[in-house]
Amino acid sequence: MGRGSIEVHHVEDPKIINPHDAILKITRTAICGSDLHLYDGYIPTMESGDIVGHEFMGIVEEVGSEVKKLKRGDRVVVPFTISCGSCMFCRKDLWSLCDNSNPNARIAEAMYGYSGSALFGYSHIYGGYAGGQAQYVRVPFADVGPIKIENDLPDEKVLFLSDIYPTGYQGAENCNIEPGDTVAIWGCGPVGLFAIASAYLLGAGKVIAIDRFPERLKLAREYCGATTIDYSEEDVTIVEALRDLTGGVGPDSCIDAVGMEAHSSTIAGLYDKVKQTLMLETDRPFVLRQAIQAIRKGGTLSIPGVYGGVLDKVNFGAAFGKGIHMNMGQTHMQKYLQPLLKYVEQGKIDPSFLISHRVGIEQVPDMYKIWRDKQDSCTKIVIDPWVDKMENPKIAAR
Amino acid sequence: MAETMQSLDGATSQNFPRTGQHYSPLVDGTKYGRVYAHAVQTILSDPETLYSRWKDVESFPLWQEHVVSCTPVSDKVSHWVIGNPQDPRGKRIEFDAQITDDEPGRRIAWDSITEGVEQSGAVTFTPHPSGRGTIVLLQQMVKLPGGALTNALFSIAERGPRQTVIESLRHFKEMAEAGEIPSIKGQPHGPRGVSGTTKKWMYGETNPKPRGASESASDIRQVQ
Repeated sequence: MGRGSIEVHHVEDPKIINPHDAILKITRTAICGSDLHLYDGYIPTMESGDIVGHEFMGIVEEVGSEVKKLKRGDRVVVPFTISCGSCMFCRKDLWSLCDNSNPNARIAEAMYGYSGSALFGYSHIYGGYAGGQAQYVRVPFADVGPIKIENDLPDEKVLFLSDIYPTGYQGAENCNIEPGDTVAIWGCGPVGLFAIASAYLLGAGKVIAIDRFPERLKLAREYCGATTIDYSEEDVTIVEALRDLTGGVGPDSCIDAVGMEAHSSTIAGLYDKVKQTLMLETDRPFVLRQAIQAIRKGGTLSIPGVYGGVLDKVNFGAAFGKGIHMNMGQTHMQKYLQPLLKYVEQGKIDPSFLISHRVGIEQVPDMYKIWRDKQDSCTKIVIDPWVDKMENPKIAAR
Repeated sequence: MAETMQSLDGATSQNFPRTGQHYSPLVDGTKYGRVYAHAVQTILSDPETLYSRWKDVESFPLWQEHVVSCTPVSDKVSHWVIGNPQDPRGKRIEFDAQITDDEPGRRIAWDSITEGVEQSGAVTFTPHPSGRGTIVLLQQMVKLPGGALTNALFSIAERGPRQTVIESLRHFKEMAEAGEIPSIKGQPHGPRGVSGTTKKWMYGETNPKPRGASESASDIRQVQ
């Protein structure tokens, strides 16, 4: 309810509005790192009373007259992007750039030239759709987005198909990895962790992961198999560390899984913080600057971390001078849902490995604060919206 | 454009020199006391289908902004009622428009024949040169200011006539491709507070958006 404030309210149940809608009874939902950009007020056009949440799954409760593939009782995971399935972009597998799902396309056009697809619970520039940190949600274009779960895997193993697993996977795919490549990843939050795992799946020889929180670095090292760097340790300089770890060449690919709210203890980091606070720049592109500096010549920089607006002091000359490639954007979810579900079913990966907290809906406001402030060794929060409070939110340490 | 297509099989236009085209802007903005506006969209459908959709004037209220009703009077003439469909007691402007040019599958042009209402427009359907559907160009002109229609448009649509044209064509595309106009109207939300309420208009929550294929009871009531 304004910057730094999340509240739980009783509101009316969602109803079918359009013929391709479905109403879902949510069984599990989660808080995403990108929700923190909303929480901290860095995404424009959020308004008091907006319902947030874009990682959720549940049981179909009701379908509109034009919904053909889903019926009441189906168990589904819903991707966070809303796509019509019939425009040129959807047909080109560029689902997150759908032409026809954003009711507020004109706001996005004013800011970005053209509008991408709408997202659940992610500000009015992205459509203003009510999100899924709730008990029920309306899902537009229900035949296009949701993926049916027809196995008996528990919710927590498939829930992250809604965003962070495909987003991490696309982050790695966007690196154009060749067998044996070295990939450096900034940010070992959920997207970063899935990007590490995906980079190995796509043939990377070595993945280097950068963060400052021990619990995240531990998951990166001990579950995903990365070489970890703690950038907050004394005498650690990232560009130099990456040069040393890559035989003086630099990483073949870099992944910025941090985005607009990068932290840094350096002067440049302070400069960004001050400018962003004064609204002289919208994003703090610290990681982006560092990645451009660290990447090898002709390398590929992939950016799954969210940026919202205008950046300052980005060394574009370095990007040009080294002839690097850049790939970015919201995840084309529908492209990845089936193959990644298969990986989970085959047991290649258990996406629930990063869950640190399980909470009820009344605990969500507190968890936003804990997640933002990186307290309590928090790596991922899952919500059961039908429980008010869980007794022991923190699950046993691994 | 046809030449470009031919160049794929014939070698002639792959040689140089070849003749290109120069861009000249369409009339747009306020000129001579009139507002000219245009919108262009590429729609994944063929020109014939889109042309027949546009000929179905009775469907206009479903996708054109601020149209309450449009009724055919004869082959070439239709009767328009313009206003805010959500506000049954709001201002209404009525006029008759006559089709001045009609090329099946290619172009429709119209002009008001009611005295005091200056409103004309044209829509063209051109096959995309690389087979990406149909390029639809909509051009409209309304008289300014004090013109009853323009004032009504400004006060009703809460956006200028130019944006109204852009939104109408966008809705036409959404209906043709996706089969509905995306909407969040009627969805639940928490308490809006002061700033939320004042900004409602900005996010389109107070705009009289056409209902498209909506099944929501409140939307259907609006139109009647």
